[in-house]
Formats: sequence, structure tokens, C-alpha cells
Amino acid sequence: MLLDAPWWIMSDQDAALSPLAVPRIAGPGSGRWPFGRMILEVRLDMPAWKQVVAVACSILIGMFISAVILVASGVPPGELVNEFASNVFDRQSFQAVLVQAAPLILVGIAASIGFRARFWNLGLEGQMVWGGIAATAVSIYHIGPEGLRLPLMALFAMMAGMAWVAIPALLRMKFAVNEIISTLLLNYVATYCLYDLLYGPWKDPKDAFPHSSLYASAERLPDIGHGVNAALPLALVLVLLVFWFAEFSRFGFYLKFIYANPAMGRLVGVPIIPVVWTAVLMSGALAGLGGFLVPSGIAGRLTQGFFEGYGFSGVLIAFLARNNAVAAAIVAVLIAMLFVTGQSFQIFYQIPFSMVQMIQAIIVMCVAASEFFIRHRIRLQR
Amino acid sequence: MSIAEQQRVEIIKALVAGARILILDEPTAVLTEGEAQRLLAMVRDIAEGGAAVILVTHKLRDVKTFAHRVSIMRGGKTLATVDPRQTTAEELTTLMVGSHVVTPSRSAKSAGEVSLNVTGLASATVEGHTPLIDATFSVRSGEIYGIAGVGGNGQTELAEALVGGRQPSAGAISIKAPGSPTPSDITAATPLQRRDHGVASVPADRQALGLATRLSIVDNFAIGFVHEGRFGSMALIDRASMRRATQAAVEDFEVQGVRSLWQRAGTLSGGNAQKLILARELSRAPSIIVAHSPTRGLDVRACAAVHARLVAARDAGAAVVLISEDLDEVLGIADRIGVMTRGRIVAEFDAPADRNAVGRAMVDHV
Repeated sequence: MLLDAPWWIMSDQDAALSPLAVPRIAGPGSGRWPFGRMILEVRLDMPAWKQVVAVACSILIGMFISAVILVASGVPPGELVNEFASNVFDRQSFQAVLVQAAPLILVGIAASIGFRARFWNLGLEGQMVWGGIAATAVSIYHIGPEGLRLPLMALFAMMAGMAWVAIPALLRMKFAVNEIISTLLLNYVATYCLYDLLYGPWKDPKDAFPHSSLYASAERLPDIGHGVNAALPLALVLVLLVFWFAEFSRFGFYLKFIYANPAMGRLVGVPIIPVVWTAVLMSGALAGLGGFLVPSGIAGRLTQGFFEGYGFSGVLIAFLARNNAVAAAIVAVLIAMLFVTGQSFQIFYQIPFSMVQMIQAIIVMCVAASEFFIRHRIRLQR
Repeated sequence: MSIAEQQRVEIIKALVAGARILILDEPTAVLTEGEAQRLLAMVRDIAEGGAAVILVTHKLRDVKTFAHRVSIMRGGKTLATVDPRQTTAEELTTLMVGSHVVTPSRSAKSAGEVSLNVTGLASATVEGHTPLIDATFSVRSGEIYGIAGVGGNGQTELAEALVGGRQPSAGAISIKAPGSPTPSDITAATPLQRRDHGVASVPADRQALGLATRLSIVDNFAIGFVHEGRFGSMALIDRASMRRATQAAVEDFEVQGVRSLWQRAGTLSGGNAQKLILARELSRAPSIIVAHSPTRGLDVRACAAVHARLVAARDAGAAVVLISEDLDEVLGIADRIGVMTRGRIVAEFDAPADRNAVGRAMVDHV
């Protein structure tokens, strides 16, 4: 490999072997490590089931670390198990999980479709904020007849999310501005716009709190039974739609090349710009819609912090689901359990909700670390 | 840096580090003869100074001139270890290929009308590169136009401008499809539009620009055709017909090492990866083919297969631009040869060209 191809065009899978001796071979006379030599090799491939096992193990390790931290901060070990189990076995908690899952599914698939186009959309929260503002505007200004209010709110929310993501997309396409920075910073701009509205013209006249007036009942997502609202079936339909787009449509086929090797894709005729725009606008629209589901489906009004935690969770869900929409839906339900458990820990043990984000971060780090073992093989030589 | 420059840096890095065992895998593949001779003379000095040098090469001349001992490998087996000075080139070749190497014969058919016209093509200056300054040439249908020259004299920039990888800063490219009355200007066309005009591209850096190594063989083949609607509609791609077409192409172009069509394209060897690229690019019956160093790093047998494909496309009426740093290759299959030096086409020769005359044109202007 020394002369055949320079390293920067060699993806790690292509490198036949890159034995990095760790530690370096000891010279004569010097001591050796007790277990001999550790050799690191790049794997050519790993069977899918082994990858699943590796990721599952890393999640278990992450959960163990999280459990230790929770116990250290005052949660009795027995309760820890109970709280998580109640997510599934307790009817009310399970409903809460399902209600919580819908917006998480949306931000998860929003992130994944953006990531598939190599557009690192970290502005999910900003797009949610504008989605929420647009939907609430429909409510406040009574736009359209009551019967069409919900679809109009959804539509406005999606368009607002698209418009907000279009700014960093335009900056990146025209001026090569890194979207990781621009989407992230635009979150703050969106947040302060929201605060301005909630502390100003949209402040609830009834109680003078910084949140909007309650939505009319026609503006709230209808219950579909068992305390679960229409957000969940809507989210599942969108999961299937995004799954179809990514896996079965022609643009989805193009996206594979944009993700794997955009320079090569362009040369063989992939229309990069329209495909990336489509994916990015979809990402913004889905996040914007998420910004409608939370106020309309959970709180019933636009609140100051309705979007908090969703941006990071969306990125996490897409990462754990490897940008696959169906997998994202499953991961989103698991994250929803974490959210619901976190809420009850907050109530019963005064553990701050940021603990949920910390647990998410620990799990992400563990899974990211498992990538190393999926890509490499460690051999011990005596 | 051009590939030639990158390789020189790699070699120097190994030498500076004071290597005692030096393994060189095709070190002269893209070097000019002069550079190669100097490099190998230095390598022999290193060997005679006490280092062990393993030189992996397919160039018999290098072996005969510089090696002390030679082992011939074929199909993963060492066949013989001989003294290169007491073995003839024919014997070595027979050991290497097993059967006789067939050089593609020139067709008697004469070339048709001009189908690719390049005038005054120039590229923007990038630091450390020789830009394209003024490339002017035309290629007729049914003709292989070879562009010979030392690597790093503007070949990469020329190939990029021809296939649409990067816009030229000046000049014009026009192509004339067989049967159409007027040529169309494609100077500013996107790669996609060029493909629709019948331009096929075989890039020099096949791992980076020829294939998406992480995607499957099927994907890498089908991507050349999906936009024409051959594999399903916008709403639904047709994986089954992709698989069938890829199967047929893999067989037709004799791509070996395919255990499954869904395996990563990156697992194919260099020669088979190149055959897969040729399958994608040539099975569309293109009218213009831009091939840049299509046999770099390939073994004798794969080289012959690539050459045979290019000649067959030429015989079918394509205009082939063969940009190559391997003079033997250009002399062997090109119908006309342009020599590229410092960003310009400085001389043109009709085949059969005089090797020394071409060589002089390559170095005279440096």
C-alpha cells in the first residue's frame, strides 16, 4: 500500500491491513508488556450479527455507567429497575411514552434524512421553534376554517421549518459556510425570537405567563383512544414515507452516493444539488412539524422550553439508527422511555432533567467507541 | 500534488527514515522512464549498501536492468526464482502470463469525422501544479488519440475539464454526435449533461473517482444508468433489474472476484475494479471516451483486457482520448499521439510513431 494509493483516498475498509503495533516493538534489553504485543488490524468486513452484538454490548455498558451515576445521586437501585420497567408494564407510563415518542420520532427521521445528504443539521431545535411559532400563528390569527385548522397548522409548521433550514443550506451551497456551525447558532436566534413573542405580543392575557393562550380544542391533536393522540400515527406514516424515500426512490439511490463518495457521484451523473436540497428541506420540514406536535399534542400551547432536548435527541436517534428511518422510530421509543423516566426521577428524587441528556451522551459515547471494535480487530501476540 | 509527485514524496519518506528493508510496490508505474531509471538506480545502490529490497513490478525492463534475483508470481503462487540477466524477456513474459499476450491489432477501418474538438483549453492556477495553458486538439470518431507526457504536466486538469470535474478558465470543448449536423458546445456542461451527450469517463484515481468503494457492485454499476430511467421510475427503483443487468455486465466484462453482487466494490482488486468501471462506462456505447491512466497499477493480463476494450470501443466508432504516462501503452494502441508538456500539446505524431521522437518531445520543453 506504500506506493499504490495515498492514505487520504484509502477508506479504512479498503486498507488490507494496517498493523499498528501498540506498543512499539521493544528493543533488545528493554522490558516487554506482560501480555506481549498488541496488534491492531483493520477489519475488511464484519458480519451484521456481530455488529449488532457489539452495539448491544456498548449500550449495556452505557446503561450500567448511567445506573451507577443515578444510584450515586440518590436513586435507590431497586427503584431504578422499577421505574424503567413501569414504562412498559404500567399503563399510564406507557401512554406517556407513546405520546412522548411522536415528536422524538420526527426529529430522529429529520436528522437522519439530513445526515444521509451529508448535511449535518444540528438546527433541529431552531426549526422546531419556527414550526411551533408558525402553527401558533395559525391558532392566534384564526387562519382558515376550524375544520382545516389542524392541517393548516401542520403545513405552516413544515414550511417554517423548511424556511429556517434553507438559510444554512443556502449559506453552505453558495458560500461554503459549514452548516454544523450555522445551524447550531441559528438555534439561538430562533430561541430569542420565540422569547420575544412569548414575553411580548403573544403573552397569555389570562395569567400573564410567558406562554401563548391555550389552543382551541379544534387546534389540538385528537385523541385516538387510550390517551394517545394522533401525533403517533402521523409520525409512523412519515417514518414509512422517509423510509421509502431513502431506500426505494431514485433520489434515495442518489443519496447513497452523495453519502459515500460525492465527488465520484457527481462524475457519474448524480444531480447533487437538487438531491441535497430535497433532503435538507425534508429534514427542516419534519423538524418543523415536530415543533407543531409538541404544543398541539402535549402542552396545548406554545411554551418557552417546548423544544428543549429534542435537537440533541434527534441527532442521537439518527446516529444510533444509522440514519435508517424505521430503526429511528424504534430508537425514538426507547429515548421516549428515558424521557418519561427522567421526568419521574425529577419529581420523586429531584434529579435534574439534564441527567437524561447526560445518559444519552454516555450511551452515544459507548456506541461511538464500539465503532472502533467493529472497524478493528485487536490481537495479542506473546 | 499529482500522483507522480505523491509517489516521489512517499519514496523519499521511506528513504529518509533510513529503512533497512524496503518494499516497493510498482514504484515506477507512473514515473517517466528517466525518473524510473534514476529511482531504481538509487534503489540498487541502497541494496548494494546492505539493505534488503523487494521490488514488486510488472515492468520486465526494470527487472532485467536492476534486479539481482527475480521471482515470478501468478495467481497467488510463486512459479520460479531465476537470475534475470540470464533469462530472456520472452521467457519471463511466458512465465508471467502463462499464455501468449495478445496485443490488440489496429483496425483497418479509417477514422470518421471529427467528433471532439478542444481549443485553447486552460485551467486556473493551483499552487504546486502545472496548470493547463493551451490544449488544442481534435479527435475523430473511430480513433484513439493518445496523450503522452510526464505526469503533472496538466494531464489531470485536462481530464477534469473534459469530463466536467472542474470548469476550465478559458477555451472551448465541443462535441459532435454521429449523425447530428452541428457540434454542440459542452464547455460549461455538468457531468450529467456530458453523459447525456455520450461522454464516458475512466478516471485515473479509480478508488476515489471511479467507484464508491463502500457501496455494492450493483450500485456502482447501476448509478451510470438510473438517471436515464433504465432502472425504474423516480418513485421506485428496480433492484431486480439492476441486479440482472449488473450480472450480465460482470460476465461480459469478465470482472473476477465477485462472490456476491452485493459485496462492496472496494473489495475488488485493481484490475477487476477497473473492469467494473469499464463495464459501467462502455456498455452505454459512448461516442466519446476519456480514459486517464486506465492501466495504472494493473497486471499484464488486466492491462491487455483494458486495451482490448478501448480498441473495441474505438472500432465501434467512439472517439477515445487516452491520457497516459505509460509511453508503451500510448505507442501500443493510439492511432494518433499528442505530447503534453507544461500544459500544452507540443507535438503530434501519427501511429506508428517513433519512440525516440515522442520521448524527445516529452523532455525537450521541460
